[in-house]
Amino acid sequence: MVDLNSLAGAFTLLTSSYQAWIWLIPGLMIGLFFGAMPGISITMAMAIFLPMTLYMDFLPAIIFLTAIYTAAGFGGSVPAVLMNIPGTTSAVATTFDGYPMARSGRHNEALGTALAASVFGTLVSYTLLMFLIAPVSRVVLRLGPLELFAVAVWGMMLIGSLASKSMLRGLLAGTFGVLLGTVGFSSAGHIRGTMGVQWLFDGVPVIPAMMGLLAASQLLGLINTKYLIEDEASRQISFRKIIDGMRGSFRQPFIIGRGAVIGVLVGAIPGVGSSISNLLSYAETKRNAPDSDTFGTGNPKGVIAAESANSSSEGGAMATMLALGIPGGGATAILLAAFAINNIVGGPSFIANQMDVVYAIIFANFAQAILLLIVGLGFVYIAGYVVRVPLRFLIPSVLVVATFGSFAIEGTAAGPITLVVFSVLGWAMVRYQYPVAATVVGLLLGRMLENELARTFQIGRQSIQGIFDYALTRPGALAIFGLMVLSIAASAYAKHRRRKLGRTILAGDE
Amino acid sequence: MESKPGRIVVMWGHLALLAVITVVVVYYWMDTRAVSMQTVNLLLVQPASIFALLLVLCILPQCFRRVSEGEEIEKESLSELGRVFALMAVFITFALSMQYVGFDVATFAFMVIGLFLCGERNWFLNIGFSAVFTSLLIWGYGAIIPFPFPLTIL
Repeated sequence: MVDLNSLAGAFTLLTSSYQAWIWLIPGLMIGLFFGAMPGISITMAMAIFLPMTLYMDFLPAIIFLTAIYTAAGFGGSVPAVLMNIPGTTSAVATTFDGYPMARSGRHNEALGTALAASVFGTLVSYTLLMFLIAPVSRVVLRLGPLELFAVAVWGMMLIGSLASKSMLRGLLAGTFGVLLGTVGFSSAGHIRGTMGVQWLFDGVPVIPAMMGLLAASQLLGLINTKYLIEDEASRQISFRKIIDGMRGSFRQPFIIGRGAVIGVLVGAIPGVGSSISNLLSYAETKRNAPDSDTFGTGNPKGVIAAESANSSSEGGAMATMLALGIPGGGATAILLAAFAINNIVGGPSFIANQMDVVYAIIFANFAQAILLLIVGLGFVYIAGYVVRVPLRFLIPSVLVVATFGSFAIEGTAAGPITLVVFSVLGWAMVRYQYPVAATVVGLLLGRMLENELARTFQIGRQSIQGIFDYALTRPGALAIFGLMVLSIAASAYAKHRRRKLGRTILAGDE
Repeated sequence: MESKPGRIVVMWGHLALLAVITVVVVYYWMDTRAVSMQTVNLLLVQPASIFALLLVLCILPQCFRRVSEGEEIEKESLSELGRVFALMAVFITFALSMQYVGFDVATFAFMVIGLFLCGERNWFLNIGFSAVFTSLLIWGYGAIIPFPFPLTIL
């Protein structure tokens, strides 16, 4: 599984020149800064700095770009925790418990927890990558539409776990999101629901919609509040508490391990990646946790699950990119561009002939993760001061930053318009206790659900019976559905046991 | 038949939200059907729309709440709600006007009014903060994002 000669070659590559290392910390700082800015995606940050790599050797260039990639992945969680703004789609699940933690004065712990889970997740994912790069890439090539549909359905199951107060409202919020997520051109070439608006042909812009639903809606509702954290004593920025949060993460190795495995596997699927893996990991952790009722109200396990999965998706995406030469998303496409600048083509021949370079990239990522722990610690300490800013300054400032961020995505009015529409909708939904996060999940997965279902339908001779016949030939998809059913049954059984135990204890007390 | 005591309170806001969701879902479903009746086009949208409308019907009774005599419903004051709507209106105006009046002017104006609505009554601080924040933001985003944005003064 591990080629020892290539391992030795990787060490030689990394230790023979200081060039490979000097770009590491600048890359991490750039990634943290850009990742934490709403609307500036990881892809955009990497694209801005890609031209700089023209003047670097191949390995330093890749290490610099992957440092931005790793740090921006975590950077997105900082506004997610402090302001309920997921800096990237991969930080959506971080908001579910991170923001309630911050609102209740546990912002230090939340940031520390997110940082440690991110770092630990990255380390686990690259360790897995070292051993599994070849088998994972073989599996990815075998995935069909039904398997992708199964993954999307699995993600949709999160809606059930988000709708803790009213299942009906949760389902409506999620279904509404799915419908909005399918607006525009369908994979069959039909244009629906655009009302003649041209920019809706590509669908509802997801990131501005997400920022509107999750962040701007909350900010509008906070106008009658003075500070993000009402209690003055809880607004302290404490290094010790950040460290406590990090320790808390390390006490949950199983949640991090599960998040990392989900992250690597889902991250390896082109086009799916970290935006789904964090949701899946959150849903699975919530389903299996004994204290599942406290998820969504500030349970650090939710932050750990989300962050470990989204950071480890990077490892999965790198596996697909290195082994197959397929970019799973924008960030890996830019890495491939950096490969091309140096006349190197990713794919099976790259893995076969330059395994030492692959291992060198993996080792450099280990170093990045460890350095991120230190650089990130300083970053979250400074970022934590947001809770001390009075809301009368914070609300208009963040609304403006969100608007600029939504404009920055495409450079048109589509972003700001989407942002305000979804802010108002989100405010009304929050007011009447609809889980807006379910709408966000629906928006993210709607198009994928429809596309993969349509492809399955076409492969299945355009009949429902055909879909079932096709499903029988896809053991991978059946296995995913089977795992889903097993996981639901196991959590239902565990709940039943807990209830029974609770009744027994009550009876004993009487 | 036994009649329950108390009065029924209609939650108009919730009712309006459900009405908006219903209108959007029905419009989208009908538009999808009008575009094409092929199964591949309706595969997800049609069942999801029907499901959403059924959910609306199930939730509808929750907009009518029976309140017993003497029971008070907890809600914010009209002035608090008015501030939310005012900020919402200013935010919508800001987002829609920024391309026409320039990002700098729109941002500065939104910041000044937004700060005032959020409770900042010191005009020197308000205008000073808004001017500095607007300048830094225009400069910062201008340096990062690859798209030009219209400016009037800066």
